[in-house]
Amino acid sequence: MTELFDLTLEEHLAILLSRGIRDFETSACGALSFIPAAGMLLAQHTHAPMAEIIILGSRDYSPFSTGKDFHYHAQRGQLDLFHISGIEIDGYGNFNLHVIGDRDNPDVLMPGQYGTGMLYYAVPRIQMFRTEHTPRSFPETVSYKSGAGTSPEGIARRTREVRVITPMCILVLNQETRLLELESIHEKYTPQEVQENTGFDLDISSSIPETPPVTEQEVTTLRQVVKPHMIESETYPDLAAKLIR
Amino acid sequence: MVQAGSMGVPYVPVRGFSGTDIIERRSDTFKIERNPFEQHETYVVAKAINPDIGIFHGLKADKFGNVVVRKGGDELMLAQSARKVIVTVEEIVDTVDPDDTDGWVIPSIHITAVVHAPFGAYPTAAPGYYSADNDQLQEYVDAAQSEETFKNYINKYVHNVLNHEEFLKLMNLTLTPELINA
Repeated sequence: MTELFDLTLEEHLAILLSRGIRDFETSACGALSFIPAAGMLLAQHTHAPMAEIIILGSRDYSPFSTGKDFHYHAQRGQLDLFHISGIEIDGYGNFNLHVIGDRDNPDVLMPGQYGTGMLYYAVPRIQMFRTEHTPRSFPETVSYKSGAGTSPEGIARRTREVRVITPMCILVLNQETRLLELESIHEKYTPQEVQENTGFDLDISSSIPETPPVTEQEVTTLRQVVKPHMIESETYPDLAAKLIR
Repeated sequence: MVQAGSMGVPYVPVRGFSGTDIIERRSDTFKIERNPFEQHETYVVAKAINPDIGIFHGLKADKFGNVVVRKGGDELMLAQSARKVIVTVEEIVDTVDPDDTDGWVIPSIHITAVVHAPFGAYPTAAPGYYSADNDQLQEYVDAAQSEETFKNYINKYVHNVLNHEEFLKLMNLTLTPELINA
């Protein structure tokens, strides 16, 4: 079906993210987050017209004067869902936004994070996403833990659902085992292919559901409603013009 | 944490960071403590940071040291936490209006020194004065790809330039009459 619509990678991920957005919840993404921004707007125009959405740094979807006001909003428990990406995401739900390689002599030094080290803990539902599904993006353990899937016993933490959306599958953090496991695999990929591209062990012994195929309504709404709206409202207008067909 | 420093308290509890390498590597700054009001739960607490000197760029200042900064930033928090505060500004004016709508006012009680530095935010933007120079930012991004190109970039724009005025000349940045008369 993705071939039928000739979806870009960004369109595909935005559609899958949109499905996690719910009416009467407040969902948000950071300031350099075109894909979840498109996904949240798509949800508002499809199944979740009553969803409250926050796109930091945007003109029309950022009702805060400063970054700290947004963080306090989350710390108070008024944010239901947040989007996080990372250069690496490991089998324990840890993500890395700091360094690749030796921490004291890194191969790659990244800018670090602004709020995700807090938001991963203060927000009940987390949608992580990654534009590349390879062993280097999904290693056994991250080079540096910028955010931890699991906290020490007793820590006040609100996170109760962590899902990871990739170009190949959807992973979910098992709240008992504290490990990422397969929720569904996108059509055209086999469990073996997903495992080969993942640096940690996935249980593929039992049958894994297929991710519900992308629908014509999702694609046309994204292309004909969300795209022009993003351009007109100056919400990542250049990326919307380029990455949504 | 700068926030705790601005509040004048030794630490603040934070919902976050537990289990990360940030905590492990900065155990001087982060601890895990029991919430004294809810004995069953523990919190990460972050130590106050009170910098010796805080430096940031603003839009304008008057001779009393009242400052106007761009909207949307956390400069006030930094000014409150730092022991000495230096502000560079685009423009010096006779008096800053406490109700100035061009930006947010930080009263002089938090400020130690003001420096007239037009184009001090360049190549990023100073709202109301100039927008970001995207070509220059791209040149920096390209130069940052390797040690050698980065070194050349720093030599060209920093080491081989005598002072700020020479830098403005090199970049062909001209002062408007208001900025010159400031």
